Amino acid sequence: MFNFEFNSLAEAFLMQSQNGQNHGIFVWSVLIIVFVSILATFIFYKMSIKKITKKLK
Amino acid sequence: MKANRKQRLITVLLILATSATGSFLIIRALDSNLDFFFTPSEIFKEEIPNNKRIKVGGMVLEGSVLRDKTNISFVITDYQGSINVEFDGIVPDLFKEGSGVVVVGYLRDKTLVAEDVLAKHDENYMPPSIDIKN
Amino acid sequence: MYQVDRAYSYIFYVSLVLYLVSIFWGLFVTPEDFVQGNSYRIIYLHVPASFISQSLYIAMAIASAIFLIWKVKLSAYLVRSIAPIGAITTFIALISGSIWGIPTWGTWWVWDARIVSTLILFIMYLGLISLHDSFSNHEKADKFLSILVLVGSVNIPIIKMSVEWWSTLHQPASITISDKPAIDLVMLYPLFGSIVGFAGIVACLVILSSKLQILRRERNKSWIKNYV
Repeated sequence: MFNFEFNSLAEAFLMQSQNGQNHGIFVWSVLIIVFVSILATFIFYKMSIKKITKKLK
Repeated sequence: MKANRKQRLITVLLILATSATGSFLIIRALDSNLDFFFTPSEIFKEEIPNNKRIKVGGMVLEGSVLRDKTNISFVITDYQGSINVEFDGIVPDLFKEGSGVVVVGYLRDKTLVAEDVLAKHDENYMPPSIDIKN
Repeated sequence: MYQVDRAYSYIFYVSLVLYLVSIFWGLFVTPEDFVQGNSYRIIYLHVPASFISQSLYIAMAIASAIFLIWKVKLSAYLVRSIAPIGAITTFIALISGSIWGIPTWGTWWVWDARIVSTLILFIMYLGLISLHDSFSNHEKADKFLSILVLVGSVNIPIIKMSVEWWSTLHQPASITISDKPAIDLVMLYPLFGSIVGFAGIVACLVILSSKLQILRRERNKSWIKNYV
């Protein structure tokens, strides 16, 4: 049931497909962009809320 | 519902209706200009000047792909009409006989001289081990 | 607001875990696609963002209608708070789609109907934000914004149907209400999980954004003084 597609971290990094192409670079860069933009948005709002509550106190 | 509230509801519906009709008319006016590509059978129905950059989409006819160094020639078809394509360059990984392509290029005596070949794939996703049904 | 604060952490942790597990599952456990190979794994990041970016606009349009008809002030705050989150998710959808296009289509950008209508959605979100902020009178800004949101809502069915109405490089939807999904079940489960998880995370962002909006706009009210 729980079978990894990749046998090692290096393999997961490269993500070589059956046609021989390495797709890891695309998948990983999208993953990083998504995580960074979501995280940055969270940080922005948390900081802004903190700033305004401090001012209101 | 109060009278003024009802009036505002009607205003909201009017805004929606107007913008919907407006965009419908714009889209109708643009019509085929919004199509990303034409099919091979559509291409020969109209006169297309040699200097017009066109996009033609269809299936790569099986057995039609000929490679010569970096040159590649193939036939794209929509099973009603077909057109010869010549291309000097690198085709995408998904380019295969029997799969979808969109070719950007110019017409030269019934042959499409390609500037760019894009692969089109469908909405089906499945593991490689499962055979394609239908 | 106190209840929201309490619910927030539940939503956040549940959806974060669901999202991360689904992404992990999709990226490392599901088999590769028979056509696209491993590059198809971007679906687990691209589809949730695209889906949510459109859903947020629908939410904005509903909130606008509520504000215009019933004059609920909170509804107007919600419209303004959703806009930047919508812009972020649309940005993610565009970028992830672009990168996905490189290994599959052989290009990172084409002017096809689906992609252009999504770009218009992105520009609309940005335009709505700057429009609202250009007003010094908040009441007027709220009214104007809501009307424009309603006018722009026509773009959502256009995005949805673009792949059916015109010939596009973008493929039609894999998951539809009427038909059996065109995506294999082992790939569908993590995709579904990632959509629900992403929706929860974005809901948290909307809560934070609304909170900021309420704090800014109601800062002179006494209940805010008690709250902070």
